[in-house]
Amino acid sequence: MNIELAAEQIGHIGALPVTNTMLMSWVVTAILSITAIIVSRKVTLVPAGLQNFFEFVIEYAYNMTEELAHSKAKVFFPFIMTFFLFIITSNWLGLLPGFGTIGFNEIKDGKETFIPLLRSINADLNMTLSLALVSVIVTHFFAVRYLGIKDYLKKWFALNPIFLFVGLLELVGEVTKVVSLSFRLFGNIFAGEVVLATIAGIFAFVAPLPFYFLEIIVGFVQAAVFMMLTLTFMVLLTEKHGEEH
Amino acid sequence: MNFLTEFGVKPILLLAQVVNFLILLFILKRFLYKPILKVLEDRKQKIAQGLQDADEIEKRLQQITAEREEKLKAAGKDAEGILREATKTAEQIIAEAHVKAQKDIEKLMEKSEANMKLERAKMQQEMQAELVDLVVLALGKITGKVVSSRDHKEMIEKTLKNL
Repeated sequence: MNIELAAEQIGHIGALPVTNTMLMSWVVTAILSITAIIVSRKVTLVPAGLQNFFEFVIEYAYNMTEELAHSKAKVFFPFIMTFFLFIITSNWLGLLPGFGTIGFNEIKDGKETFIPLLRSINADLNMTLSLALVSVIVTHFFAVRYLGIKDYLKKWFALNPIFLFVGLLELVGEVTKVVSLSFRLFGNIFAGEVVLATIAGIFAFVAPLPFYFLEIIVGFVQAAVFMMLTLTFMVLLTEKHGEEH
Repeated sequence: MNFLTEFGVKPILLLAQVVNFLILLFILKRFLYKPILKVLEDRKQKIAQGLQDADEIEKRLQQITAEREEKLKAAGKDAEGILREATKTAEQIIAEAHVKAQKDIEKLMEKSEANMKLERAKMQQEMQAELVDLVVLALGKITGKVVSSRDHKEMIEKTLKNL
């Protein structure tokens, strides 16, 4: 078993190269969208079935958001919830049989290589990096919106040389956020894929089962961590500087 | 930034994924979060309303119970009063009846006594008359002489009166 660090390209639409993770990302989007539409079509005051489940998830997440963000919860919530739903769906979907094993062979650089058609979305840095970028950029956008451009800039730049230095360090920290968010998610899921592939390579029956359970937990934890961190960053950055002193 | 290419990062893929994510965000916001949060809020309000209503009903019930008890108490008092008055009236009526009965009895007794007296007087008179006749008859027999009855009678009556 050999897992490529980069996602394999399986085709292209016009100028857009379509990788296997890209394809799965569309699948996840479709699954979530269809589920959402099915749920929303018959939302009743007395919940039943799927509505019950989503109510539970959404209410829990919303209460948590409200606890941290108070009045801003309504604005933050869609982003946070979507991060969670998208990441957990893609993580768990990536555990299904067929991922990494269904594919085709292609002659590449003069030798035949196996191209899997399906690949866990977050085992591709493109995907996690774009999620992290959305998270951080939206956070800064909210900061400008809630603080105003003046207070926002004051967070980073000050006339006092010490605070100026601190502000610059924090600015670097913002870049680090992108890196840490993306690489944490990517690393966890990619490592999981590698472990599962390796164990399956040694003995494919029963042996990988404990690792599958582990990956289910990791998939949930990573989704929750990404959600929580995004929420925390949003709350912290939209607060006025010096309010806590 | 060389290491990024090793990870297969391409700006166009990043952009595609961002767009993808934003589309998903929009769809979920429109079709999942909005209706579910709305229904949650609606239910919360409905439950609050229900609890408030229940409270109100409870309060009303207590009020009604208290009112009823008060009314019952008042009615009991009224009934007692009426009963007492009735008893009093009845006692009065009975007493009056007693008095009247006593009077009636007395009257009756008086009447009967008078009657009896009258009767006795009549009887006496009758007896006297008979006695006179008897005496006249006896005297006649004894004397053998018939006295004119009228004279005799006068004489005897005189004697009897003197007796």
